[in-house]
Amino acid sequence: MTKEKKRVGVYICHCGGNISDVVDVEAVRAYIEKLDGVAVARKNMFMCSSDGQKMIEQDLKDGLIDSVVVASCTPKLHQGTFRGALSRAGQNIYLLEQSNIREQVSWTHTHDHAAATNKAKQLVAAAAAKAEMLEPLEPIKVKTVPCGIVIGGGIAGLRAVRDLSKWGMNVVLVEKSPFLGGRTAQLDHVFPTKEKARDLLDKLIKEVIADPKVTIYLNSQVIDGGGSLGDFFVKIEQTFRGCTEKYDLKELEDAIKDLPKDIKNEFDYGLSYRKSIWMPYEGCWPSIPAVDWENFQPEDADKVNGSGFEFQPNKEIIEVRGGSIILATGFDPYQPAQGEYGYGTIPEVITLPQLVRLMADDGPSNGRLEINEHPVRSVAFIHCVGSRQVEGINNPQPDGKVNNYCSRACCTATLQAANELKERYPDLHVFDLYQDIRTYGHGHEEYYQQASKNQILFLRYDPLNPATVRPSNGRETAVSITVKDLLTQGEEMELGVDLVVLSVGMMPRNIEQIIDIFKLPQGADRFLQEVHPKLRPVELAVEGIMLAGTCQGPMDITEATAAASAAAAKSMNILSQEYVYLNPYIARVDEDLCTGTGLCIEECSEVNAIRLENGKAVINKTICNGCGMCVAVCPNDAINIQGWTIPQYKNMVSKMLIPAQELA
Amino acid sequence: MTKVESSYTPNILLLSTIDCAYPGADWAGQMHMDHYVQAFNLRVPSPAMFPEEFYFYCFEQGFDGILIMSCGAECPYPGAYDRLAKRVDHLYKMMKERNLETDRLRLTAICTVCAQAYVKEIEDMAGNLKTLPPIKKALGDIPQGVN
Ligand SMILES: Cc1cc2nc3c(=O)[nH]c(=O)nc-3n(C[C@H](O)[C@H](O)[C@H](O)COP(=O)(O)OP(=O)(O)OC[C@H]3O[C@@H](n4cnc5c(N)ncnc54)[C@H](O)[C@@H]3O)c2cc1C
Repeated sequence: MTKEKKRVGVYICHCGGNISDVVDVEAVRAYIEKLDGVAVARKNMFMCSSDGQKMIEQDLKDGLIDSVVVASCTPKLHQGTFRGALSRAGQNIYLLEQSNIREQVSWTHTHDHAAATNKAKQLVAAAAAKAEMLEPLEPIKVKTVPCGIVIGGGIAGLRAVRDLSKWGMNVVLVEKSPFLGGRTAQLDHVFPTKEKARDLLDKLIKEVIADPKVTIYLNSQVIDGGGSLGDFFVKIEQTFRGCTEKYDLKELEDAIKDLPKDIKNEFDYGLSYRKSIWMPYEGCWPSIPAVDWENFQPEDADKVNGSGFEFQPNKEIIEVRGGSIILATGFDPYQPAQGEYGYGTIPEVITLPQLVRLMADDGPSNGRLEINEHPVRSVAFIHCVGSRQVEGINNPQPDGKVNNYCSRACCTATLQAANELKERYPDLHVFDLYQDIRTYGHGHEEYYQQASKNQILFLRYDPLNPATVRPSNGRETAVSITVKDLLTQGEEMELGVDLVVLSVGMMPRNIEQIIDIFKLPQGADRFLQEVHPKLRPVELAVEGIMLAGTCQGPMDITEATAAASAAAAKSMNILSQEYVYLNPYIARVDEDLCTGTGLCIEECSEVNAIRLENGKAVINKTICNGCGMCVAVCPNDAINIQGWTIPQYKNMVSKMLIPAQELA
Repeated sequence: MTKVESSYTPNILLLSTIDCAYPGADWAGQMHMDHYVQAFNLRVPSPAMFPEEFYFYCFEQGFDGILIMSCGAECPYPGAYDRLAKRVDHLYKMMKERNLETDRLRLTAICTVCAQAYVKEIEDMAGNLKTLPPIKKALGDIPQGVN
């Protein structure tokens, strides 16, 4: 069967000068215009502008062309924009091919304009070769499951849940720990508003739990998942928390007074100990104790005098479905290596999250600043521990990479803690060792100014020559710090202090399993990677999965909740539609060529999207994922992936290598 | 036969996966990493779709080398990477039978941020191909000694 070739319109973008500073756009246009099958070839300063798009629309409406090539930036940025132009002109949106002459030409062959121009000609010619063979396709229609799934119940996840439920949507919240709130619950007063972190949380949690549209699974892990935009499924394994009744801390203490208190309390970052049945703080949600099954010993059961306990670590598997997924799995504070700035070897070296717990009224020392039961008269903060690291200077993580990113919230959090210490203990000497002070957010700079007023002494260190920390050995203070201070022309300073606080950065929590299940992209910094910070914020490349909060990168609460609201709004966009439409890039059988060999069925054994009917292969459209394994084994060339066919690829390849004399 | 580095500019076809290597190539662009020019990306859902015959077609069209830039272990399609790896083994056998150097074909995995690896693979293959005759000569389309 011969198919009619399309008349192709080719549109080449200058991208300001991003492309045209390197590629001779007019030479490409003039060359392409002469190719067989190309009906028009035009150029524009910005093809994505409304002017650029109108050019395409007009040529389609005037009947000059059937299919379109846009030669510009990477397709992931503006595919939607240009499909919109085709759609407005009444054309099928799949009659579009893009040629990437920015990221893959002008930005990578900057120093050889002639070679870059030739390569652009070759790539655009190949795109035109595909475009002349494109066919109109129909997207696959999926009925939307009107429910949002949010994974992670920290402040970002809770914000996303609340926004969705407020708009009338059903939401499922999956939280790994037995309690809601995430890391925010471990904070005391938060910058820049100085509100109590728990007040913020309580308000949000109250709204969330009062809404019947919200279903919460605590103590729950995602163990499997799948589906696609509009209809995802997530399999959860929920472990029974071991208790069904509400307690306050005093009642719980009475009930478990005979249990040993020998487990490092993660809520206080290991500064205190707890028992194998626990609640993190008075008023936590839910105020129902949880059994820590990993540390609970069978004999512990006999030592408990309370009602509502059942010591069976039963697990239940629950499957939920939803039209979109929001990931809000948060961060872990950077864990300094043993001996890094004396951490783990000198007891008077702690991290900022630990100090925040020490200063909290319900913290391990009830808010008194003491370390090893000694009062503290001098403190030094060291910024950028585990952030902005330099290869060769700092220890890499197990993946071999250092954390070269800025953790953003730590500068202001450090200054807030330093100010609070100074205001509580005016006689305390406070030193602040920094690389740069990055109090970038609204209301953050005030903390820096206040620190100067509070006579906090700043010393600036060179990241290539960081401070050294060692025990003072017999001196009055516990720790000695040596640092070259750039503010005094690199003079070497020796400080003796009672306490060193390492302002540790943020790292993503380990969510390998979820990354694996949904094939999620991570950035070089290991955080989940949004498609584009300006064009598609909070969206992942996997359509229908959104990001909220610090699983995407270091953020403070203001930013984490803003991202969460954005993710909820984008989810709502999907969930509020009865149907969503998926790309039709799935296998299609040419019945005239199919002889029913069944080879494709064997090849598709993992997915099972093909069956034989009346001697012909038949594709299950909702199961087929478009991998194309079946294509390669068909001896009759009877299967192709719609939109990515072998004849189209062959046509591209045949037109790519234009002889040099023709290119000139 | 001793290998001599020749002055011709080999053409390399890159079969780059939409989910991994193609964004990796974009990342190399975003980082402005200048590299060997005559390497051309074909955006593919999964290279597992190409039959053996497609590779020989590409050689015949004048590509001196083909780099399959897959997702490796990150492949989003169940079973596709293993099948692709088997196909490449089979291709090597077929190439040997046809007296084509197996250095002309390489299967590699490039992630979305593996810009450095992406560039290195291209440079390495370009370097290797320069020690081989141009593909047209290898296929016997043009007589030995003529470039
Ligand atoms: C020392 C310090 C002080 C700070 N001070 C301030 C401040 O004063 N003001 C401010 O604005 N910001 C401050 N921040 C930043 C603030 O802590 C974060 O912005 C905020 O906690 C981020 O919330 P989140 O919901 O993104 O992540 P998290 O709080 O980490 O919540 C993530 C949630 O996801 C859950 N989870 C993780 N993995 C899974 C999984 N696989 N399945 C299900 N659930 C999962 C976790 O259990 C947790 O409940 C500070 C940070 C630090 C380290």
